Amino acid sequence: MNWIIGTMLLALLVPMYVAFDSQHIWQKMLAFASVSTKSSMLILAISVLRDDWTIGVVGVLVLCVGNAALMLLAQTIKQVDKW
Amino acid sequence: MIESVSDLDVLAIVLLLPAAAIMTTLQKNPYHALVVRGLLGSVAALVYALLGAADVALTEALVGTMLAITLYAVAVRSSLVLRLGTIAEHPEDLPAEPDAAPESLGEPASAIPSELETDADLKPFLQDLYAFCQRHYLRLELMSFPDREALAAALRSREIHAASYRVPEADRAADSCTSDSCNYAIEVRVERLYELMRDELNPACVNLRAAPDSEAAASLPTPEPAPEPDTPAPPTTV
Repeated sequence: MNWIIGTMLLALLVPMYVAFDSQHIWQKMLAFASVSTKSSMLILAISVLRDDWTIGVVGVLVLCVGNAALMLLAQTIKQVDKW
Repeated sequence: MIESVSDLDVLAIVLLLPAAAIMTTLQKNPYHALVVRGLLGSVAALVYALLGAADVALTEALVGTMLAITLYAVAVRSSLVLRLGTIAEHPEDLPAEPDAAPESLGEPASAIPSELETDADLKPFLQDLYAFCQRHYLRLELMSFPDREALAAALRSREIHAASYRVPEADRAADSCTSDSCNYAIEVRVERLYELMRDELNPACVNLRAAPDSEAAASLPTPEPAPEPDTPAPPTTV
């Protein structure tokens, strides 16, 4: 099952490169959303592999919090984005 | 338990953390840095969960990803602003009681007013100023005042960072204007802003000067009263 972790890790590298390379703020936000979701899915996959439900709960919470942070940050940046 | 994930995978995931941290430090725009900081929080939560610290991962996700970047976004938004006072061309557009509260003294206007765009001298000056603000990630907030006295009072009371006004024809000859064609003057209160504007604004468009009794004036060779020691300078990016 290790190939799943390896593949998810490679998929995580793509939005990280986009976040570094892009100069557009909304493209960075999309990359952040992607990394946040992918990392929480990776946590969930690890929790299943280890059969450790504590980590699984953390994965679910990170999934929720990542989206909430994205919405809050987007609301703030939307106000600033006029200039 | 850790044998379910290979050591190579663990190493690769842990290496994402310094990579994300380096990415954060390389950002020039503060808003971009905030987004990448959120990304760093996600990666850190992943690494902590992978290494078995579920409670630390949860704290990092809540604080590092959500609380810190939201608070910093608000802080950056309210501090990276250049409040420029101008004299209103149409005084009847001002609020009814201009001295009721400090907040209502100036009227924020983020865009160039349409009636001012017809002014051939003002347009290049404002365009130059907008370009300057965009270069330094500053938000330009124009505030209108009824006359020159109200503008000077607002500058003294630190309500605005800089004041801009049209130099009358009679005063232009006596002024230390670097160019005969500049009809507008900016008085800057903040020393760092004065230095940046002196280096970057086009002297043909604007006559730049440090406001008397300000930090910027204190740095000039002419004798001026010393500034207050606890004067907070708005942060500017270089």
